[in-house]
Amino acid sequence: MSINKNKPHLLILPEDDANRQIINGFIQNLNVNNRAIQILPIADGWKKAVDKFTNDHIKTMRQYPQRNILLIIDFDECEDRLNFVENYIPDDIKNRVFVLGVQSNPESLKRDIQKNFETIGESLATDCAENNHKLWEHRLLIHNKPELERMVLSVKPFLFPN
Amino acid sequence: MKEMSSALLIGKNGTGKSTIATALEVFQSIGRGINRVGQLVKSKDFTRGRYDVPIRLEIEVLLDEKLYKYILALELPEKFKELRVFEEQLLVAGNPIYSRKEAQVTLYSSSQNRESQFLVDWHLVALPVIQEQSETDPLHTFKNWLAHIIILAPIPALMTGDSHGETLQPNRDGANIGEWFSGLLGRYPAAYRDVDKYLREVMPDFQDFLNELIGKEFKSLIVRFSENNATLNVNFQDLSDGEKCFFLCAVVLAANKFYGSVFCFWDEPDNYLSISEVGHFITSLRRSFKDSGQILVTSHNPEAIRKFSNENTFILDRKSHLEPTLMRLLSDIPVTGDLINSLICGDIEL
Repeated sequence: MSINKNKPHLLILPEDDANRQIINGFIQNLNVNNRAIQILPIADGWKKAVDKFTNDHIKTMRQYPQRNILLIIDFDECEDRLNFVENYIPDDIKNRVFVLGVQSNPESLKRDIQKNFETIGESLATDCAENNHKLWEHRLLIHNKPELERMVLSVKPFLFPN
Repeated sequence: MKEMSSALLIGKNGTGKSTIATALEVFQSIGRGINRVGQLVKSKDFTRGRYDVPIRLEIEVLLDEKLYKYILALELPEKFKELRVFEEQLLVAGNPIYSRKEAQVTLYSSSQNRESQFLVDWHLVALPVIQEQSETDPLHTFKNWLAHIIILAPIPALMTGDSHGETLQPNRDGANIGEWFSGLLGRYPAAYRDVDKYLREVMPDFQDFLNELIGKEFKSLIVRFSENNATLNVNFQDLSDGEKCFFLCAVVLAANKFYGSVFCFWDEPDNYLSISEVGHFITSLRRSFKDSGQILVTSHNPEAIRKFSNENTFILDRKSHLEPTLMRLLSDIPVTGDLINSLICGDIEL
């Protein structure tokens, strides 16, 4: 069955192909409840991801209170990008919208740790399942910590049910 | 591809994706005991009628961390009506188990450093006829692996759920799913749990299924659904095409778990599925084969293609029907932007 809209679920909107491949690796982890995730086609740019979110998803987020959405964008070393994106998130659904991404871009992370995107995704999922944040604490990912903590509270219970 | 648990083949129509399944079927048939060369390969299979160039089939497989290499070369000498074996060899970790030139077979025994030679009709493949010594004999391991290769290009209209017996070996079109179900559950009753778990995930109102005895040695699958204390019995053949594929997927997942390391080739597994289901279906297959076995799929479906990554997606391409197919890993090809857009525009060429 496709995702059950009446049960907690997570839509993932990747900015680009590299982020899509990282998510592919993430959902290979057997601890991840794949049935609670729907990966959307890539937005082709972080601004387009924000546009897609505002144009296509805000309305349905209000319609389906069990829906959560994760935007995966490149921060391109812009410190205020998260604040910029957050300005587009309406207050009433803010607790169900999350933004994660590599501080520069996934290609830099790939070069730095010498792993392919799927392996990176799998490692991130393993960290989540095992409650250790080895890779999440990498210098290109550590800035995600506050968002990750929010996700641990609201999303992790149905994403990692065991 | 040997070390990939799952991989995807993409490419335009006519690039040879499904032909790989046909080539694999030759190996599968040999594993299942078919050894008459004429039943495996026909003279029409020579590329562009070049009868003077042997057909060479080679496969390398990693089993229990040992590399198995099997070579079969076939030729059609002048005035021959049927192809004959020109060369055949099985090597394990570089050591020959047997080798063959035309009718002359040499069997090597590593324990006593001995060789024995005998003749086999050159119209017969030797692998199925060489007696294996035990279940740990590499010959047994390899033949068993070949026999258990699963090749699927299901045609739901042929999948009735009726069965006249049991088998552990599904047909390419899935028409014997009833027999496969019976065979799997007969041999591995615990597989029911896995089949049931998957079917409940994809069809939450699924209750169970019965394999009802209709006549002497004739059974028919009936699927039961229930909700709010009401039940509905549906004959398997009346399920939708997509639902039949859910059942097929459930058996593939269970087979991979209970047979041991299985190789599965599924030609366009996204066929007949709703767009919201495709991604989950492909991901379930990939996850199931992650720690054991290997699955190779083909697809033209964007949702299915997106569930693979550059390191496990192979592009097949050929310039024309007169030229050979080229195959390269997507990560070795410069593709900018969205892969699906590039495929739609036909921009990916080798």
